Amino acid sequence: MNPLCTPLEHTFSRRAFLGGGLGMLASPIFAEAMQQRDKQVLFVWLDGGISQLESWDPKPNTEFGGPFRSIKTSVPGIHFCELMPKLAKQMHKLCVVRSMSTKDNAHSSGVDRIQRGDPKNRGVIYPHFGAGVAKLLGPGSSGLPPHVWIKPGSGGFKVEDAGFLGPKYGSLAFGEGKPPENLLRHPEISAERDAARNDLRKMLDQRFASQREKRVVEANTSVFDMAEKLMARADIFDTSKLPERDRERYGRHDFGQHMLVARQMLEAGVRFVKVTSYGWDTHGDNFNAHAGMVPKFDQAFSAMLEDLEASGLLKTTLVICLSEFGRTPRINGHVGRDHWPAAWSIAMAGQGVKHGIVVGETNERGTEVKSEPFDIGAAFHTWYHALGIDPLKTEFDNAGQPLPIAHDDMLPIQEALA
Amino acid sequence: MKIGLIVCLLALTTLAWAKEGRLAEKIDALLPQPSAADDAEFLRRVWLDFDGGIPTADVARVWLADQSPDKRTRLIDKLMGETRFALRMAEAFHVMLMERRGENEEWKTWLVECFKTNQPWDAMVREMLAPDFLDEKQRGASYFLTRRLEKLGQQDTDYAGLTRDVGRMFMGIDLQCCQCHRHLTVSDYKQIDFSGLYAVFQNLKLQPVDDKHKIPWLSEGLINAKYEFVSVFTEKKSETAPRIPFGEEVMIPVFTGDDGWLVKPDRKIKEVGQPKFSPLREVAQRIPTPENALFAKNIANRVWFLFIGKGLVEPLDLHHSENPPMHPELLELLGREFTAHQFDLRFLIREIALTQVYQRAGAHQRHLLAEQKLRAFLTATGERERLEKNQKADPNVDSAKYALADFEKAFTAALANPAKEPELAANPSLRSALFFRNSDHVYWALRPRAGNLIDRLAKLPDPAGELYLATLTRQPSDAEKADLQAWLAAHGGDRSKALSDYAWALLSSTEFFVNH
Repeated sequence: MNPLCTPLEHTFSRRAFLGGGLGMLASPIFAEAMQQRDKQVLFVWLDGGISQLESWDPKPNTEFGGPFRSIKTSVPGIHFCELMPKLAKQMHKLCVVRSMSTKDNAHSSGVDRIQRGDPKNRGVIYPHFGAGVAKLLGPGSSGLPPHVWIKPGSGGFKVEDAGFLGPKYGSLAFGEGKPPENLLRHPEISAERDAARNDLRKMLDQRFASQREKRVVEANTSVFDMAEKLMARADIFDTSKLPERDRERYGRHDFGQHMLVARQMLEAGVRFVKVTSYGWDTHGDNFNAHAGMVPKFDQAFSAMLEDLEASGLLKTTLVICLSEFGRTPRINGHVGRDHWPAAWSIAMAGQGVKHGIVVGETNERGTEVKSEPFDIGAAFHTWYHALGIDPLKTEFDNAGQPLPIAHDDMLPIQEALA
Repeated sequence: MKIGLIVCLLALTTLAWAKEGRLAEKIDALLPQPSAADDAEFLRRVWLDFDGGIPTADVARVWLADQSPDKRTRLIDKLMGETRFALRMAEAFHVMLMERRGENEEWKTWLVECFKTNQPWDAMVREMLAPDFLDEKQRGASYFLTRRLEKLGQQDTDYAGLTRDVGRMFMGIDLQCCQCHRHLTVSDYKQIDFSGLYAVFQNLKLQPVDDKHKIPWLSEGLINAKYEFVSVFTEKKSETAPRIPFGEEVMIPVFTGDDGWLVKPDRKIKEVGQPKFSPLREVAQRIPTPENALFAKNIANRVWFLFIGKGLVEPLDLHHSENPPMHPELLELLGREFTAHQFDLRFLIREIALTQVYQRAGAHQRHLLAEQKLRAFLTATGERERLEKNQKADPNVDSAKYALADFEKAFTAALANPAKEPELAANPSLRSALFFRNSDHVYWALRPRAGNLIDRLAKLPDPAGELYLATLTRQPSDAEKADLQAWLAAHGGDRSKALSDYAWALLSSTEFFVNH
């Protein structure tokens, strides 16, 4: 096991806490232990829209149910599509909301609106959830960049994710899970030489700061420090040294290996990690496509849940899995399913949410939500709550203009909150 | 004879100043400063501002040794006479006006020409707002509009964004919130102020290059009625003719039938048509005028910000009655004199440079553009000429490993602000830190190579003076000299490496990357 992912219990036992009485609360050891328990987020984005019917909300033997059977999960009475046998065994860790009902029917706007929580239009661009978390919770004690994104394709600094919060909160994207440009020390410069000249730079900056306004020096210092922390943890991008078994368990495909990198990032203490899987937009040949893709997702996502549980990180990590919408129950002429925001599912686990429950239900044909429908704003309320942030009491500050962190007409999904 | 003429001219100008009072002196009277920057601090500041880079150690040495009392004024005038000044102003205005939306050769050429020939600001703005697309000399100006109206992906054409930027850039007002309702926090800004401009810009259509037009161009539709808008708060319907913010509505001429067209649209011959009434030309005439007080104040404030490091009104695009300038009399004065001098930017810039506040000790630490940082870095490392000569990079030859364009690309990628963000403050990022710490570009420039900084330093028994002059444009203090000595003693096994590391630390330090 990674030495950094020591479960809290090892350093700070429950018994010691209870036995220590109130005096313990003030002790620095306690404070340190609490700090180690930085709340984190894993945000799994299935781009294009996974079919709820071929995953979390199967409707076998109905008009639109498709060819797959449903299977029992580890929680009696809850069934998943048979394409997810591994996640079915993890249902007791999950909280599945089957009553999502959102507005956007197009990818171009949906991807953005869902990730920004579709707030009321105030003429400003809202931050993605990750940018909001980075802003409200900061980088945490790891000092690593607080908002990272592991994705196929190109990487870079995605400032547009930050909206009005400003470029600082944009995501640091690792294309193909690879490190950012210039992360590694120049091959011609030894570690000693690199460290020595960096110490010299710090000394020069300190001297300059002593004669000038400190603000600019402080900003410069903070980014060099973050660069140093990330350089020191360049290993989190490297899955080659992990046990063979791990790499098999997550699956030898992009999503599996990206999830493995994500695990390492969470273990290293990165505040918010997003992992994207592309290609879920199955307008044609929906069933073969899902038969190919869902098992890969099943494999990697369930391995992640197992590992986060084993390391204790699941207690402090909010896990979220969703798309920009679900897929139409009606099967089109190309044996595909189209976009369906009216009734779809998201899955959650870990920090602040109940486990082993399903919230809400769709009607028999899966076309509409039968229980109380929830828009994405309600999910944002739920997630912020789960992280200990009350959206009714917390606001963003857009250059003096206070703005709600989640849709101001919505409330959290109470049933889902622990 | 020549000297006589200069004396004569000087006497004449002094006479004129004595009568009118020079703007710089009036500013000094309003903002007297306790102490002036020393020569080295002034030299670096003025060079970064007017040339866009830093002086070489040799140039600095000569100027610092000059004892004549008027050498600062002469330096300002010398730098303003160089082509570099036009290039530097073009760079600064490009970043200010386009906010890193992209590069365009014709636009850049237009900006450089404007500053070379000292085009008045009102003429520049008229050309940007209503360019003649067929005139080779001014079509570059159209990039301001056309770039903003390009469709990106599936998003709608951003007419609202263009409307907002015209207010921000030319009147110093950000009307974004007034797109859907009155401004919530600024009582001066009304929905009609946004809508009057929006009516004009939403009527534009971006047209592709064709036989007549060498660049993308804009056509206007026929406007024969007022533009209607609704407040999302009150649901009250209102309407406005084309109108500049806080101004009068432009009368919409009444035509019957097809009379409104100068050239009728005709699909068969792909003629998009040209109306007789051009709202775009109307606002382009009405915004850059002496009557529109915000026009002069906005640019005076922006130029002040550029050279002083702090706007008299901040944010730069939030002029309104409840956000008064920190020195109202001064902004009033700047706007008035700038207007009286026919919006002459050179006049304004030179007068600001001559003030005590520009030349004071301990000025605001100012952000450098990626372009300034690159120029300063290449002058300091002594690698600029080599890179300029390298037309094409050759990875197998050390001295030809990079061309200037490679460095421009790398520095902009690592140091420039993201697109559509005003580039105002020093904004160090993880990406820039990683670039300086680990990139091969920085490593390459600091390897000893014939004639470059490290090569020169390695030959000097006591390199501190040259090192500090070349990088920070100043002499080192005794403590700094001692630090370098100690460093060389400890790491002197390979003197070039030790010097390269010291230079790296200086060039990665905050002092190098701000103007102060």
